[in-house]
Amino acid sequence: MFRRLTVWWIVAVALALLTAACSSAPATPAAPAQAPAAQQPTQAPAAQQTAAPKTEAAKATEPAKAAAAAPAAGKATGEPIKIGGIFDLTGATGDVGTPYAKGVQHYVEWKNNNGGINGRPIQLIGQDYGYKVPNAEQLYSQYTTQDKVLAIQGWGTADTEALRPKISEDKIPYMSASYSINLANPKETPYNFLVGTTYSEQLQAAMQWMLQDWKAKGKTGVPKIAYLHSNSGFGLSPLDDGDKFATSNGMEKGLRIPMLAATADMTAQLTQAQQYGADYIFIQNTSGAGATALKAAKSLGMLPKVQVVCLNWCTDDLTVKLAGEAAEGLVGASPFAFPDSSAAGMKDMAEFAKSKGTTIEAEGLHYAQGWTTMAVMAEGLKRALDAGKPLSGENLKTALETMKDFDTGGVTTKLTFTPDDHRGSKALRLYQVKGGKWTPMTDYIQTNLSIAK
Amino acid sequence: MESGIFQTTYQKDMALRRTPAQFIRLGVLLAFVLVFPFFADNYWLTLANQIGIAAVGAIGLNILVGYTGQISLGQGAFLGVGAYATGILVKQMGAPWPLAVVAACFITALVGMLFGIPALRLKGLYLAIATLAAQEIIEWVIIHSPDLTGGVEAMVIPAPTLFGQRINSDFRFYWVILVCLILTIILTTNLFRTRTGRAFIAIRDQDIAASVMGVNLFRYKLLAFAVSSFFVGLAGALTAEYRTIISWERFTLDTSILYLAMIIIGGLGSVTGAVMGAAFMTLLPAMLQLLGRTAGGFMPNILQQIPFLQQAFFGLVIILFLVFEPEGLARMWRNIKDYFRLWPFSY
Repeated sequence: MFRRLTVWWIVAVALALLTAACSSAPATPAAPAQAPAAQQPTQAPAAQQTAAPKTEAAKATEPAKAAAAAPAAGKATGEPIKIGGIFDLTGATGDVGTPYAKGVQHYVEWKNNNGGINGRPIQLIGQDYGYKVPNAEQLYSQYTTQDKVLAIQGWGTADTEALRPKISEDKIPYMSASYSINLANPKETPYNFLVGTTYSEQLQAAMQWMLQDWKAKGKTGVPKIAYLHSNSGFGLSPLDDGDKFATSNGMEKGLRIPMLAATADMTAQLTQAQQYGADYIFIQNTSGAGATALKAAKSLGMLPKVQVVCLNWCTDDLTVKLAGEAAEGLVGASPFAFPDSSAAGMKDMAEFAKSKGTTIEAEGLHYAQGWTTMAVMAEGLKRALDAGKPLSGENLKTALETMKDFDTGGVTTKLTFTPDDHRGSKALRLYQVKGGKWTPMTDYIQTNLSIAK
Repeated sequence: MESGIFQTTYQKDMALRRTPAQFIRLGVLLAFVLVFPFFADNYWLTLANQIGIAAVGAIGLNILVGYTGQISLGQGAFLGVGAYATGILVKQMGAPWPLAVVAACFITALVGMLFGIPALRLKGLYLAIATLAAQEIIEWVIIHSPDLTGGVEAMVIPAPTLFGQRINSDFRFYWVILVCLILTIILTTNLFRTRTGRAFIAIRDQDIAASVMGVNLFRYKLLAFAVSSFFVGLAGALTAEYRTIISWERFTLDTSILYLAMIIIGGLGSVTGAVMGAAFMTLLPAMLQLLGRTAGGFMPNILQQIPFLQQAFFGLVIILFLVFEPEGLARMWRNIKDYFRLWPFSY
């Protein structure tokens, strides 16, 4: 009896010590800075230690001073600006989520090495959420109540859409990699901003091209369409608008075929599309799933008679790499330029990636996408500070809404946010895989779908 | 100096608390939970709320698994039924939220009873598989009824209001959860002082003997499923109101396993154990996270490993408990109390 209890006493004391050691952690302001995936802003530690504790009080008075004292270049040393990051590294969309998160983190690091936002470094507190809505919600409340972040870089459609009421209530500017049209109308979601062109517009533009292609092939009647979509808010997002386009052009509504996350083989799904007699298949999913579907289509002998079209999350080099020959002839819609497009905006990231021992070609298009999204947020921060107002969610939102024709150096077309429209980009390009390489098929196509419900 | 606890009347022997020490401990505990939210910061309040909800759910599961001996892997799905029932009632039908929560409890009880029917014929591993089927079926129904539940997309409900106040902060919600938890504890503790509760225990210990003694097995097994699911439904409804975002991903098989771990670690067949287990299993990942954050300073890569370490840690803890104290935290607590009561002359 006694011996047994002694063992438990030792365990209890050890646990108590552990708890005591840990519970002091949240009190240390520097602790959250070491957050996981986030790269630690590389400023002088002494400066941060002294500046961080007075964050709240200082917010109101200091920005003007900081702006005045801003160094042109060199490491940022001012009071850090906290930005939350909800990334998918291990979940269903981790294949494209990982390079995207890396892009966001690398931009922050690069910016902090080059003077930060008017001398103030960005402190990115980022974590993986495994593409699960509850995890995103948990991280969101952690960021807003404990870390007191100013704005958030988010990821998925289902989680961003679920967080809408909270985002609006807490006034947290939120840029996610979800280009759902439900997040574009500031009357409903005043704090959500989209950098890419909405999925709905991508799908409609691709369908517009489909009608021309159909005629060019000399076929009569109307094509039959099928959607292979991720079984999530992301996958379902553009389908209603796609159906609207289809029915208004005399076509049948598309056949919806969900791709279950766990399916390693998509033969069943593609067989379904084949039996339906689909002439065009639109894939709204990420590279991994897209490539699996292409392979199944090829082995069923559907290619190239059936034309497969990817929306932006599988229009990347990863799809081509994974699908191999099956990707030949694949059409993709993307508002983002490819890393090998020699766009001027790629220069900084290419240099920085090299200094990190990688290349933007290896990281791919989504790396540039993450980098650019963070760059847009940084531009908003700069505008808010330049306006001489204290940094707050409301002021950042107003600052972002003043962005007109912001030049991303060719990574996207020029971005514009207005108080009535939070879609930054309203143009996209269609590409096609030729000889194992994505080549532009059209110039930028302007889109403007109504966002009013 | 005492050598044990002795009673002189049956009434005293039946009492829930029999020694002054027990009353003092209860008083201290009550004072602590009443004062705690005024001193705790948001982080600890969030944890407290999570523990409270988990405790209600774990007590519910313990009624079925710990007291009646009917194993269930459908816990996650039953929590989901409670959450979605609340969501649908509030959002689609515009019911006031307290009514929706109560209704959700009854709906979950009904669903639990339905899936408890195989329990009459099935025992042990077979029942586990039957309840696993319940888990899968309910999950499937939730995902494939987009008009009702939002399907794979999350369902968002407005934050609840009480006396004109929106209960949208951890501090305010703490009181809602506290009241529900205390009610659950009182009801459950007293349940096992009644004929029904004793019938449950008789079924667990030896069902054939119980039926010979006049316990209607079918009736009481179903009743156990209903009572258990009622409280699980309450936990689900509270989750819905607390999070305001209802997503099927919260109610998967992982959740079922987590709750089973809670009651195994806490102590099967013990209300205190269920609460302790819920607290332990909620605090463990949070503490690991904090530890990781602290360690992140000198080992930057450790935070990315935390989710995996967490899984390994859960496994390790369960194995250690099964080896060293199969009766869980509740038994440990009792040992500690006994040790001190007889100290220093314990044998």
